[in-house]
Amino acid sequence: MTASQINGLPVVTVHGGEDVAEVRDVIYSPEAGRLVGLTLNKRGFFSGRRREVLPADAIHAVGRDAVMILDESSLTAPEDAPDDIGHPATDRNVIGNDVLTEGGRSLGVVRDLALLVGSRGEVVGYQIDKTGGGPGYIPLPAQLAVSGAALVVPDITEEFIRDDLVGLGAAVDDFRGRLGLA
Amino acid sequence: MTDSFRRAVGRKVVSRSSAGDVGAVSHFLVDAGNRRIAAIVVGRGKKARLIDWADVSGFGPDAVMVGDEAALRPPLDDRERAAADGKLDMVGKRALTERGSELGTVDDVTFDPGSGTVDALQIGDREVPAGSLLGSGPYAVVLAASEEPARSNDRSTPAE
Repeated sequence: MTASQINGLPVVTVHGGEDVAEVRDVIYSPEAGRLVGLTLNKRGFFSGRRREVLPADAIHAVGRDAVMILDESSLTAPEDAPDDIGHPATDRNVIGNDVLTEGGRSLGVVRDLALLVGSRGEVVGYQIDKTGGGPGYIPLPAQLAVSGAALVVPDITEEFIRDDLVGLGAAVDDFRGRLGLA
Repeated sequence: MTDSFRRAVGRKVVSRSSAGDVGAVSHFLVDAGNRRIAAIVVGRGKKARLIDWADVSGFGPDAVMVGDEAALRPPLDDRERAAADGKLDMVGKRALTERGSELGTVDDVTFDPGSGTVDALQIGDREVPAGSLLGSGPYAVVLAASEEPARSNDRSTPAE
């Protein structure tokens, strides 16, 4: 699934079966290639922002229909959360960044993050608008250089561009194996 | 011997000592962690009262027997008030796995009327054993990840 599909999902407790919040925004660290956490809105008709945030390590699972947490104590006051989520830096958004290979080829522009359904928020790749036109998905190496305008990926990434998320899922292990990351 | 929430709702509750009706079963409060009925709710709205499962002397096919009217008590906390309002009913609730996938709606819950132990949840044409029950609340019934339909290779399926 993509990060934009997470926005608006209910946050539900496993033990209480209660929808304690809904996802406002996905906070992502491009350098680390991982989700930092989620900011939250209240549930209900008069929903506004919820002060507490959900750090990534308190996520039980990010699913198609809900983000699961064990109980409401997983929600954390911003001052107690990692800096990245308490005060997210807006310039660190990778959406719109140009994807460049180490060899200097442009593969496309980042549109969205691709995550494993049911995982704890593992980002496995990016959805891109391919330079040649049309949407595509590229797998994500463990770490990569990000400037705020572009991100640099290994040359072999070009071989692993896929047309859909299912294809990407199959490509990720292969890709990381080739890079010696698996 | 097995009974179900759907069948049991509406069943009369009778006092053994007076042989009089004290109301009818309206809701169930389930202790999901222990997979058993914690209490039954009798009556609706402001008049709703709880009967702890321990105070049920017989859960029969035609009537639920209690010692006397003293078995009925008002809800004591938020969770019990929610149960009395029917907000915690498992029947009709969405079933989510702990991985955040919706499996459908809980159509019925079967239980052992002798012990109050929950046996299984009926979700569409599937019967999910109570052992998979992780939690139950106002929004959803939460089931173990093992109840998710099998996929050929989970790791390589980030989305459909």
